[in-house]
Amino acid sequence: MTSSFLSIRNLKKSYGEVVAVDDVSLEIPRGEFLTFLGPSGSGKSTTLYAVAGFDEITSGDILLEDRSILGVPPNRRNIGMVFQRYTLFPHLSVAENVAFPLRVRGQDRTTVKKRVDEMLSLVRLSNFADRMPAQLSGGQQQRVALARALAYDPPVLLMDEPLSALDKKLRDEIQIEIRRIHQETGVTILYVTHDQEEALRLSDRIAVFNHGRIEQIGTGEDLYTKPATRFVAEFIGDSNFLDVASVADQSNGRACATLPDGTVLDGLSTHHVTRHSGRFELMVRPQWLAVAKEGSDGIRITVKDVTYLGDSSSALLETGWGQAIWLKGPAATLRGLTAGQTIMVGWDFAKSELFEI
Amino acid sequence: MLLNYNQLGRLKYVLLGITGVICLFLLLPVIFIILLSFGSSQWMIFPPPGWTLRWYVELFADPRWFEAAFTSFKLGLMVTVLSVILGFFASYALIRGRFAGRGFLRALFMTPMVMPVVVVAVALYAMFLRVGLSGTWLGFVIAHTILAFPFAVIAISNSLERFDKAIEDAAILCGASHLEAIWRITLPSIRLGLLSAALFSFLASWDEVVVAIFMASPTLQTLPVRIWGALRQDLTPVIAAASSLLVILTLVLMTIAASLQKVLNR
Amino acid sequence: MALSLDRNFRLALPALAFLLLFFIVPVLALLLRSVMEPEWGFQNYAELFATNTYARVMFNTFMVAGLVTLISLLLGYPVAWLLAIMPRGLANIVFSIILLSMWTNLLARTYAWMVLLQRTGIINKALLSLGIISSPLPLINNLIGVTIGMVYIMLPFIILPLHATMRAIDPVILQASALCGAGKWQAFTRVLLPLSMTGAIAGALMVFVMSLGYFVTPALLGGTSNMMLAEMIAQLVQSLLNWGLGGAAAFVLLSVTMLLYAFQVRFFSGYADIR
Repeated sequence: MTSSFLSIRNLKKSYGEVVAVDDVSLEIPRGEFLTFLGPSGSGKSTTLYAVAGFDEITSGDILLEDRSILGVPPNRRNIGMVFQRYTLFPHLSVAENVAFPLRVRGQDRTTVKKRVDEMLSLVRLSNFADRMPAQLSGGQQQRVALARALAYDPPVLLMDEPLSALDKKLRDEIQIEIRRIHQETGVTILYVTHDQEEALRLSDRIAVFNHGRIEQIGTGEDLYTKPATRFVAEFIGDSNFLDVASVADQSNGRACATLPDGTVLDGLSTHHVTRHSGRFELMVRPQWLAVAKEGSDGIRITVKDVTYLGDSSSALLETGWGQAIWLKGPAATLRGLTAGQTIMVGWDFAKSELFEI
Repeated sequence: MLLNYNQLGRLKYVLLGITGVICLFLLLPVIFIILLSFGSSQWMIFPPPGWTLRWYVELFADPRWFEAAFTSFKLGLMVTVLSVILGFFASYALIRGRFAGRGFLRALFMTPMVMPVVVVAVALYAMFLRVGLSGTWLGFVIAHTILAFPFAVIAISNSLERFDKAIEDAAILCGASHLEAIWRITLPSIRLGLLSAALFSFLASWDEVVVAIFMASPTLQTLPVRIWGALRQDLTPVIAAASSLLVILTLVLMTIAASLQKVLNR
Repeated sequence: MALSLDRNFRLALPALAFLLLFFIVPVLALLLRSVMEPEWGFQNYAELFATNTYARVMFNTFMVAGLVTLISLLLGYPVAWLLAIMPRGLANIVFSIILLSMWTNLLARTYAWMVLLQRTGIINKALLSLGIISSPLPLINNLIGVTIGMVYIMLPFIILPLHATMRAIDPVILQASALCGAGKWQAFTRVLLPLSMTGAIAGALMVFVMSLGYFVTPALLGGTSNMMLAEMIAQLVQSLLNWGLGGAAAFVLLSVTMLLYAFQVRFFSGYADIR
């Protein structure tokens, strides 16, 4: 195995009978922004806390520059962390908060002062040095926490849903700040979130967690265009999963599927299909669907409802076998649709993935 | 309606009347003692025939009163230190610990507060007679710490509960050892809780009568024991003078506590 | 997780050892003496319940505690109610008065009542001069004096928790009941009273338990012929050196107290958390 900067090998963590993290392995190069994305309880935070070192792990290993850090207590790991909740020391001013890690490392006054100034200007809070945490907004508190976590130049920065307590607008602002700070400092960041949009915006790569395992790891584009599992397809972006009656003619990663109403679709993608029989589902993104002419390839559906959403509109459709699916498109193209109407919809079948169920 | 002050109608005046009378009832003894302590009548005729400072002069002329007050003060300080230290560790275990039987442990820590004081007093009296702690400072400190301890646990565990453990974790990741994090981050952050634990512990000892009666010896008497003894003999106005000073002390402590709370909460 | 595995549990050990040694052991030892002295058996308990004097003391204790609880509840309820809805400034004044009375040294307060309740004290004088009574009432050295003194002490302990319960009731509920057609009396008996009942019972239980074991006020205001349980225990061991009987009386007081405490914790401590 090529040695990377930070590597997590076969990490397992269980609480009694409950397995929180099940055999997770990751290789992270220096300077990468890697996001752990997944629903709550999927093991993403537990993995992050294992790197921080607060809980003993059940088995596996974590190496930083080829050295295991399992035996190193959290205060000696030299790792930075920004927590989900506000963790500024309430009795210390902003500057004293940032200075704290430097003071416990026994650095002298002038070095500390210089570094604190640098860090506060990095997070653009130089004017707030003497404020107390209670006098700051939530966004400012998290920026100070970021400055504090970076003050001692940690090789790795852990961020556990740091923006989840903030409102949408502030979140967008700070995401931009975090990107800038990542680029300026070049620090390796492990970032936990359950917000796919946040993950797509920030990360170099995303690891999608589910039930204690990593379902897929890759760039945002990889995950969206080539989802490895049904879970990933569903979690990243919106998806419809059409029932499939039978699959035939599997060759060269392509197949032909028959839908329950007898419609036959050809040229479907079968990257993740390993067997010839059994039950299948067909993934179709709502954006791919478009109204098609009578007689062209596609499926016949009944329009149930059309909702106007500003730039776009979405339509709730029902297939011939009673399955509800969504269509999303520019408002202008959906203007003619009315509830009760029966129409044809089509899409580029080559994009559509078959999944086993 | 019934829970809106301005919509109560006539009922409002009924409730105001009852509350007013009860406030007078609660204030009556406190004001009465203070007036009495300045009254010139030895037999505490009220309203007094004249005003005098005689009882205060007598109070300060008798060194036994001062001695008793000083004993109570010293005892209170020792109990406070011990009770806050034990209380902090116990609260930390209760709030941060993840072990079975925490609820039981908490209930156990609270029992000295719920149990009739006389039972604690008699039980300790019996034990101290046997081991020779009766009438000693050590015995006194132990007995009062038992009574003060639950108050310290309540105050400290309440403030520890409100203090986010993640802040302590952050300090540890910043490079502080666990002890350093507790000392430099946790303790300063819960100082309000520690302070009220200290205040309550001190008062629990300072005002305590029942256990003190059993622990006291002719040479080691707290202020309440001294007042108790005087009350059983006669109702001299000197007691009124001593009591008035205690009322003023209460007022001072209340004001300090209230203003400290304001300052620290900022 | 096992007890010993948790590092934080070890921090509780000093306090645990301290309580074990100086609280649990002595109390158990005292209770043990009730069945060991002068010889093994339950003769102390038999004597306690069979002897008229002792039985009377126990009856007095429960009666006074019950009376004190009832009066405190009746007097405290309107105050707690008003406190919960009063304008802030006014409520703060009432609060300061309650806290001042509660924090004032117990002996100082009891001393005041000893003087106030005398035959020649101002209460009798005031009643005489108003023509309500023709000769001074015996208000001290009897259970009337004890009851007055104890109600004085217990009032804050019923007002404060009851006030918290009242504050937690959403006033909109009462507006809703008015819209449903309930008059003031119906709104009180069918909505406010039931909603505040948990607080009232919890406070009443606490006051009853505290009153049962009270020592100072009964001893000073009650006089020798109207002893209550706590004073009797003290006398039995201090003056009569009858540790067996004292232990038995202590056991009776302790078990009733703990039973009621457990009852309160079980049924009424949860109500604060639900809110």
